[in-house]
Amino acid sequence: MPKELVVDPTSTRRRTEIEFKPIPVHAYDRSLAEERKLRGDAALTEILRHMMVVREFESMIASFKATGSYRGIEYAYRGPAHLSIGQEAAAVGQAVSLEPGDQIFGSHRSHGEFIAKGMSAFAKMPKEDVADLMANHRQGRLAETVDAHLDSVGTSNAEAFLLFGLLAEIFMTQLGFNGGMGGSMHAFYAPVGAYPNNAIVGASAGLATGAALRRKLSRDGGICVANIGDGSTGCGPVMEAMNFASMAQFRQLWQAPFDGGLPVLFFFTNNFYAMGGQTSGETMGWDRLSRIGAGVNQEQMHAETVDGTDPLAVADAVARKRQLLAQRKGPALLDVECYRISGHSTTDANAYRDRDEIRLWKQHDAIELMAGKLINAGLLRDDQVEDMKADTVRTIEAVTSAAVNPNIAPPVDVGSNPTLIGKFMFNDTSQPVPSGISTFTHPKGEVAAMRALARKARNGRDEEGNLHSPLRAVTLRDGLAEAIVHHLEHDPLLIAYGEECREWGGAFGVHRGLSEVLPHNRLFNSPISEAAIVATAIGHALAGGRSLVELMYCDFIGRAGDEIFNQLAKWHSMSAGELTVPVVLRASVGSKYGAQHSQDWTGLITHIPGLKAIYPATPFDAKGLMASALSSNDPVVAFESQRLYDQVELFADRVPEEYYRIPIGEPDVKRTGEHITILTFGPSLYKAVAAADELARDGISVEIIDARSLVPFNYDPVLTSIKKTGHLLIVTEASERGSFAMTVAATASRYGFADLKSPPRVLGSPNWIVPGAEMESTYFPQAHDIIDVVAGEILPDGRNRRRGVRNWDDLALARAGL
Amino acid sequence: MATRIVVPQLGNEITEAEVTEFHVAVGDTVVEGDAVATITTTKMAVEIETPENGEIASVDVEEGSIVKIGTTLCTLS
Ligand SMILES: Cc1ncc(C[n+]2csc(CCOP(=O)(O)OP(=O)(O)O)c2C)c(N)n1
Ligand SMILES: [Mg+2]
Repeated sequence: MPKELVVDPTSTRRRTEIEFKPIPVHAYDRSLAEERKLRGDAALTEILRHMMVVREFESMIASFKATGSYRGIEYAYRGPAHLSIGQEAAAVGQAVSLEPGDQIFGSHRSHGEFIAKGMSAFAKMPKEDVADLMANHRQGRLAETVDAHLDSVGTSNAEAFLLFGLLAEIFMTQLGFNGGMGGSMHAFYAPVGAYPNNAIVGASAGLATGAALRRKLSRDGGICVANIGDGSTGCGPVMEAMNFASMAQFRQLWQAPFDGGLPVLFFFTNNFYAMGGQTSGETMGWDRLSRIGAGVNQEQMHAETVDGTDPLAVADAVARKRQLLAQRKGPALLDVECYRISGHSTTDANAYRDRDEIRLWKQHDAIELMAGKLINAGLLRDDQVEDMKADTVRTIEAVTSAAVNPNIAPPVDVGSNPTLIGKFMFNDTSQPVPSGISTFTHPKGEVAAMRALARKARNGRDEEGNLHSPLRAVTLRDGLAEAIVHHLEHDPLLIAYGEECREWGGAFGVHRGLSEVLPHNRLFNSPISEAAIVATAIGHALAGGRSLVELMYCDFIGRAGDEIFNQLAKWHSMSAGELTVPVVLRASVGSKYGAQHSQDWTGLITHIPGLKAIYPATPFDAKGLMASALSSNDPVVAFESQRLYDQVELFADRVPEEYYRIPIGEPDVKRTGEHITILTFGPSLYKAVAAADELARDGISVEIIDARSLVPFNYDPVLTSIKKTGHLLIVTEASERGSFAMTVAATASRYGFADLKSPPRVLGSPNWIVPGAEMESTYFPQAHDIIDVVAGEILPDGRNRRRGVRNWDDLALARAGL
Repeated sequence: MATRIVVPQLGNEITEAEVTEFHVAVGDTVVEGDAVATITTTKMAVEIETPENGEIASVDVEEGSIVKIGTTLCTLS
């Protein structure tokens, strides 16, 4: 597609000034009489009651943490208790202005938002829908328990269901909403729009933004809310998410009906403190949090500071922002000022604040203020408020008695089922082969890059055995591209993005030509925001989409560390399998650009439970494994060696034109042999082949196995091979210490011990930086290094012919930290 | 003096490219910045521009052929 936005020096160089609009601070001034007219008295009373429910629920947890009991109920609760006592107006005010389908993403301090959203959603949904939801949740077990033990508790079964499901989760029991795999800081119940809380400060900013992308694409009118704290404004990923959500392309380049801003609200519950650090005045420079909006986009994110101690002021602000989002003018930012009367956690000694300050805010307690307002206006009498409190206490007491009772809320029984948690790690299902009508805007035949690919030879050698030029035969890049093209063409739920993904075709050209057949809403250039790229991909997937995103170099994994290690890897298991995360994260393994652009970081990914990982080395494997990755309902990290993008097929007879899948986790024997097994990861395959050719001339016959995948990993082909050869050499380009190759060596030793004639040996890169291109051959294992190890150490033939530089003493190096 | 327009260095890994299309023929006049040919590497398609004004004196390779980096595509007079 031709260039769409022209950078014209005449206009960019024109003298002008940037103007900012004033940012409203506490602008709300509606009278109660107006609110009564607007909402009705019953709704106002309900707002008060919801705040009381949140307060009592959290007071109960506070009481358990402080004294081990609550109203005579004994229970030793060991988990986290980040309570929001004092902040209830922010949570309830927000929830009353959201629709049931709107999705909130929480923080470590989000019990209140969760309860408020659930109560509001249940109250707004048709009764039959609520009954269906409860009956269908985990085969109705939670609903049955509520019917049996909490019937006629509180105002409705639905509320008892919500509070019990949450508390059972906080106590990590089987009946909890996450099946006991999440707990306080990770609780979710998607049917009411309560998407996960998050123990990582600010992480919900990116997840909510990604979910909003899905909402925008599905055009269901819903919005997403990132519930995060004032302290999170110091987190890079929060800034990245706000910038991502504000990308000009949504308005300038995306076409109807997908044009316009993202429907996401960044709702900062600003309690003036992180844990002990004071945001305004100490750790931040913004003075008023809402100022941030002015730096993000022209609309200043419609930022406002509102009174978070008044639920009506919050409800008013959220309703107005929601309307803006519905008009596709998002994103929006609210700075909701309130105060956490409770400690950060129950071990908080309050060393960072004065008793007097706490006293001032207790006198300004949101619940007392709201109750007073309603009493003054004659909506409620004192005794009715007291009755409401007493009813709330009775509800929480009943829910608590049930949740602490192991006969009613049984604990997760890992003792009798030791691999139970393991079963939640992966979904292990795949979507059917996408075969819907083409979603491309033009036929593939009109795209030069695709026409050229269609003309290429399907194998790497011609009839005489000569190597084809990568311009004339299918390469590893082409294999990846063919799988990606198929999925993007036929799966409308799949979107692809990353840095320079469109016209550039991705830094290494895998997406080449796709910008000519896919509109911006299916394929777009992202900002250089690795954290936001991964976080939004996850949010998009959690909300029902499928995401294919790219980190230009795997060396940039660090920039998306939390997003990959804590979010991508964990949401399936932390939700006991209720949430799926179909994300493919492509990451190239570089070379030639030195220490920060050439590292094989497979070991970081394989170390984290919950991520699948592939590392194909041939065009045939790349196509089949990428097809499996894109079909998988689990997150898959796809490593791609930059040195292999131009590799043609040398092993399979041909790379089929048709779509096919290769199961993830199956190593492949690339060459059979008798005397030694060499297992390779990624591009080491070709070094092993060159070494094997040379060793064959000395009568050493090598069996070569290409791992192809890292997680999962089927050891059978390796163990079978060891049975025959008795020797195992594992070659990887990763630094040896902590590498996946070391894990494989240890496991192979254990299970192949009886068959091994020598200890398995890992030949990897040394534990120092990747040097520049000029020195790379002394760093990544070469064919002659493999020969040195095989013919010099494992199967010594007595001839000294060492050619590599690796004659170092590994134990001495280890002592030196190398 | 004739100016040669060559296949430029297109990245570390790239050693050759395909001449996908010539946009000029012998005798055409070109202005600095005009695209004379499109060449394609495995990674991308690149338009090769003339560095100066002139007339195409010769076209030195065939469309569709694979050429090494540094090969003369055409000359200007
Ligand atoms: C990435 C990250 N860094 C640090 C922490 C530890 N921590 C937990 S809560 C918290 C303070 C957060 O402050 P804020 O965002 O204002 O939320 P609040 O606790 O006030 O609700 C910190 C530092 C964390 N959980 N995650
Ligand atoms: Mg805070």
